Amino acid sequence: MISNTKEVQALDFEISRSAEEKRELLYKDDICIGCGICEKTCPVDAIELGSIGAIVRTGADVPKIVCDEDKCVLCGMCSVVCPVDALEFKIDDESIKDMDEYPQLINSAEINDDTCIYCKACETACPRDSITIARNLPDRSKLVTGEIDIDKETCIDCGICEEMCPADAITIEHKLPTPDDPTVSSDIIVDKDKCVYCLICKKSCPVSAIKAACRSCSYGEYDLNPEDTVTTGSSFIDHETCVKCGWCQEICPVDAATVVKTFKGELHIDQDTCQACGACVDICPCNVLSFPQSTVPGKSPEKVMSDENYCIYCGACDNVCPVKAIEVKRTDINHTPTKSKSWEKQIDSLKT
Amino acid sequence: MEMELKVNQDNCLGCGVCVVACPVNASISNEVAGGHGSKTTETIMMVENGFIKLFSPEKCTKCGTCQLFCPTDAIWLE
Repeated sequence: MISNTKEVQALDFEISRSAEEKRELLYKDDICIGCGICEKTCPVDAIELGSIGAIVRTGADVPKIVCDEDKCVLCGMCSVVCPVDALEFKIDDESIKDMDEYPQLINSAEINDDTCIYCKACETACPRDSITIARNLPDRSKLVTGEIDIDKETCIDCGICEEMCPADAITIEHKLPTPDDPTVSSDIIVDKDKCVYCLICKKSCPVSAIKAACRSCSYGEYDLNPEDTVTTGSSFIDHETCVKCGWCQEICPVDAATVVKTFKGELHIDQDTCQACGACVDICPCNVLSFPQSTVPGKSPEKVMSDENYCIYCGACDNVCPVKAIEVKRTDINHTPTKSKSWEKQIDSLKT
Repeated sequence: MEMELKVNQDNCLGCGVCVVACPVNASISNEVAGGHGSKTTETIMMVENGFIKLFSPEKCTKCGTCQLFCPTDAIWLE
């Protein structure tokens, strides 16, 4: 008799069966968003969604889903419908994601580095911290040129210019005076790569020891090499944690980010039923929901606000709402075709 | 794996913040929705004789709101 084995490591699990072929189901709890789609899809009711509200909000050390290894038949369906790939299914060590005979949910997120201006708006907006923008800023000294000279005979080493300089370009090497050298500094140095010729030092020098002029102010931008002004860089999306919510696409000022979503649908909130407990706001992996601030005195705003531009229609909020004030409908599922009628039917059942 | 709502009366201050914070209680009782204590055992929990007591825990949806508000770990899910 062949039976499944289960290995549990912290909150993750692995269920496997070895016969003619080795079949394995691997679950990563830190990726799971607690949407419950796997529970709804499992044809043998082996998966049970935990008390997601309590788990996410109180940080309980409990897995978001559990799978009964005695019920699980290792079909792999849960891994196909998981919108964030928290479940992975392998046959003989090969993921079914790489097998054409299995259907796949279609979704993607990309940033085009040719268009990207590396403003980091997407990095800041990403609700999953999945985006990293690495950028190389232009060399400051190439954007502004000028002349600066400090007359060391006139300079009294007061250090006012050093303290005032916004670019930290001036250094005074302070020292204790000695009878043979009764001065308080051994040298004053201007780093011309840092200097932006703002002339603050010249204006604040109490003894007018600094002569400085800015060429950019006199000649405009004629001597500026356009190539020297460009910020270069590269973008990185961690596809393991990315939920393809669309924040990067919506916030990008130059349309460099493109997100393709799996589900089309609708999100409805019944404002009269809502008790504003905040469970949905805390659970949503996409930062779709928020508590609005009142803008007009004496007028109470909606209890919970939503912006469907960022919604992936995973249904986590619908599941967690204690008073059934939220309804998430899935009207269309973007997936690659399958010849199996039973798989097609099961995937289709996620439409509501 | 369904968690369970638990109370520890030894920790309870009897403040009743869990009673009014609970969204299920508020949807059941108008008094609770108005910020008052519950007057019906239809609610999940109520303060009775200065202590929290569970009356209809089967209605709990395990959203964790009571635990977030309780200042003394007298009510929690595990």
